Amino acid sequence: MHLFIQACILGLLAGGVYALMASGLTLAFGVMRVINVAQGAMIVLGAFLSYTLFTKLHIDPFVSVVLLTPLMFLVGVVLQLVFIRPLRADEREELSLLVTWALALGIEGLLSVLYKTNYRSTITSYADNSWRVLGYHLSEVRVFAFGMSVVILALLYVVLTRTEFGRTMRATVQNPVSARLLGVNVERVSALGFGISVATATAAGAVFGMVTPFFPGSHYDLISRLLSIIVLGGLGSLGGAIIAALFMGMAEAVFAAEISPTWSSFTFFIVLIAILLLRPQGLFGTNERGAL
Amino acid sequence: MPAAGGQKEGQNVRRLVVLISLGVLLAVSVTLAACGGSSSSSTNAGSTSSSANGKPLTIGISLSLSGDFSDPGHAAQKGYQLWAKTVNANGGVAGRKVKLKIVDDASSPNQVVTNYQNLITRDKVDLVFGPFSTLLTGPAASVAHRYGYAFVEPAGGGPAVFQEHLNNVFFVQPAPTLNCGDPFVAYIKSLPASQRPKTAAYPSLDDPFSSPIADRMQKAFEAMGIKTVYKTIYPSETADLTPVVEKYVAKKPDMVVAGTQSEDAYSQVKAMVQAGFSPKFVFLANGANSPTEFPSKVGAKNTEGIFSCGDWFPTSKANGNPQFVAAYKAQYGGTPFDIDSTSAEAYAVGQLIQAVAKKTGKVDNKTIISSLHSGTWPSVEGNISWNADGSPQGSDMLLEWVGGKLQPVYPPNVALTKPTSPKPPWGG
Repeated sequence: MHLFIQACILGLLAGGVYALMASGLTLAFGVMRVINVAQGAMIVLGAFLSYTLFTKLHIDPFVSVVLLTPLMFLVGVVLQLVFIRPLRADEREELSLLVTWALALGIEGLLSVLYKTNYRSTITSYADNSWRVLGYHLSEVRVFAFGMSVVILALLYVVLTRTEFGRTMRATVQNPVSARLLGVNVERVSALGFGISVATATAAGAVFGMVTPFFPGSHYDLISRLLSIIVLGGLGSLGGAIIAALFMGMAEAVFAAEISPTWSSFTFFIVLIAILLLRPQGLFGTNERGAL
Repeated sequence: MPAAGGQKEGQNVRRLVVLISLGVLLAVSVTLAACGGSSSSSTNAGSTSSSANGKPLTIGISLSLSGDFSDPGHAAQKGYQLWAKTVNANGGVAGRKVKLKIVDDASSPNQVVTNYQNLITRDKVDLVFGPFSTLLTGPAASVAHRYGYAFVEPAGGGPAVFQEHLNNVFFVQPAPTLNCGDPFVAYIKSLPASQRPKTAAYPSLDDPFSSPIADRMQKAFEAMGIKTVYKTIYPSETADLTPVVEKYVAKKPDMVVAGTQSEDAYSQVKAMVQAGFSPKFVFLANGANSPTEFPSKVGAKNTEGIFSCGDWFPTSKANGNPQFVAAYKAQYGGTPFDIDSTSAEAYAVGQLIQAVAKKTGKVDNKTIISSLHSGTWPSVEGNISWNADGSPQGSDMLLEWVGGKLQPVYPPNVALTKPTSPKPPWGG
C-alpha cells in the first residue's frame, strides 16, 4: 500500500506537468481546429532554451520560464501567421497535421545541429533534494514543477473566464461564424491562441528538462502521450485535458511500480484504444463544438 | 449550440480522432524505428587481397556519424584517424601509407550493409574495419565474410555477433560485452561471507548490451546464496525511472546490480538519492564508467563507491597506450579522462593490423584472419586472443569511484587501488 501511494504521488506530480503540456495542444485544437503535432517539439525546444540559460547564464529554470514564455508567445504568433493561417479553412484540420509535423521535424533538425544528438539534463543545485512527509518522499523539483503547472493553468483559466480576450476566445471555440458576426476578430484570436499554446509548451519544457533527460528526438514520445491525453480528455476541452493528464500520469507510475515498467509506457496507448472504441469523443468532449 | 451542424461536427470529430490516432501510430513507429532495425543481404562470394608496395592501403569503414550512435560514432572516427595519422608518420603499414575511406551509416543496420557492399565491390578497398555497436556490426560482418574480408571491429561485442559463427570477426576488447560483470562477481566472491550482500535487486534496460549482463550476474550471485528480491526489465522509452527505483527501495536490497546504458543509469542514481536509499553495493554496467559524464549528471559527490565495468582505462600501461593517450591529447586536446573508450577501441583495431603486418610482412585479408586466430595480440586494450567466432578470451576490469576518481580496482593485476565497500551514504 505504501508503494501504491508513493507511486500515486509521483504520478500526480508528473501528471501536473503533462497537464501543462497538453493544455496548449487542446487550446490550439479548440480555437483553430489545428492538431499541433509540433507541440512535443516546442516542449523540447523550451527544454533546450531553459537548459542554455541555466548552463550559460546560471538562470534557474523556474526564472527562465518568466523570460522565455513571452518570447515564445511571440514566436507562436509568428508561426501561426506563417504556417497555419495560409491553410484553407475547410482543409485546415488535415493540413495542419502535415504542416505542424514538418515544423516538428524542422525544430528537431535545428536542435540536432545546434546541440548534437546526445541527452541533456538541467541539473539544479536542489535536484537531489526531497521532503519526507508521513513516510513518503517528495522530490523538490517535482513539487515545484507541479506547483508551477498549477499556477500557469490557473492563470490560463482566469484569462479564459474573466477577461474580454478570454470571452472572445471561448466564443471562437463555440462558434467561430457567430463570433465573427458579433465582431470578434477570429484570425487575431487564433494567432494569440497559438501563441499561448507555444508559451505553455515552453514553460512545460523548462520543467520537463529538470525532471527527464531530453534530446532533440524526445518529441516523438512526448507528442504520442499528449495526443492520447487530449483524446482521453475530449478534443478541445481544457478541463478534460487536465483531468486526463493527472489520470494518465498516475496510471503510468502505478503500472511501473506495481506491475511492470514494460507496460507502463503502453498505458497511454491502451487507454487511447479503449477510448476510441468506447467513447470516441473522449471523457469530457462532445460530438459538437463546445466550451473550453 | 448549433444543432444543424451537429451531425457534421460529430463526423468531423470522429475523423479527427482517426487522424490523431494515425498521428500517434506514426510517432510511435518513428520512435521504434529509431530503436531498431534489420539487415538485408545479397549474393556472391570471393576474396580480395592487397599487395603492391607503394600503393596506399585503403581501408573502408562505415561509422554512425549521424543518428542514435553519432556520439560514439564520432569517437570511433577519432580513434581510427589518430591511428592512421600515427602509423603514416612512422612509414605506414608494411611500407604502405594508410588511406581511410569513412562513410556515414546514419546508425542504420540497413545502410551499414549497403555501405560495406559499396566499399568492397565498388570502391575495392583493401581492408575494412568495423562500425559502432552490435546492432550494426552483426549485418556488416556478414557482408565482409561473404567477400572474404577480415572484420576486425571495435564495438560489436554482443552475443548476436558471435552467434553468427563467422571466422573473419575479431572483437577488439578484452572480453565479450556479456561478461562485463564477471570481475564484480569475482570481487564479491573474494569478500568474507559476513561482508557479502545478502539480497540484491536487478533493474535493467531492455537492450542486448544491458539486461544480459545483469542476467548473467544474477545467476552467479544466486549460486553464491545472494537472494534476489527484485528484478525487472524496463523499455528504453521509459521516461521516468523513479517508480522502478521506488519499487526496489521498498525491498531494501543490500546490492543493486543494474544492466544500464547511460541515461537510465543516471536516472536510477538520482532517484535513489532523492529517495534517500543508499545500498551497500551499487553496480551499473554502463554509464558509471564515463569519467566525465557520470559525475556531471549525478553530482560528483554522489559517485563515491559505485562500481562499473571497463575494457580500457587512460592510465593503463598496455601496449602503446601511453603513446596513444599522448597522441590523442596532442591531436584533440583535453585530459586523458576525456578520452572516450570507443576511440581507444578503434585505435586498437588499427594496432592489430599493424602487428600482423609487422609479424608476417603482409596485410591481405587471408593473412590477417589466419594470423589473428593464433596466439595473443597486444594492443591498447591489452593482450587479446579470440575463439573461432571472434569472441575475446580475456576479462574486463572492475572500475570503482574512489576518492572522486574512477579507478580500476579489480582484478588485482590491473588495479590502481583497492576496491572499497560498503558504499558510503549519498553525498560522500
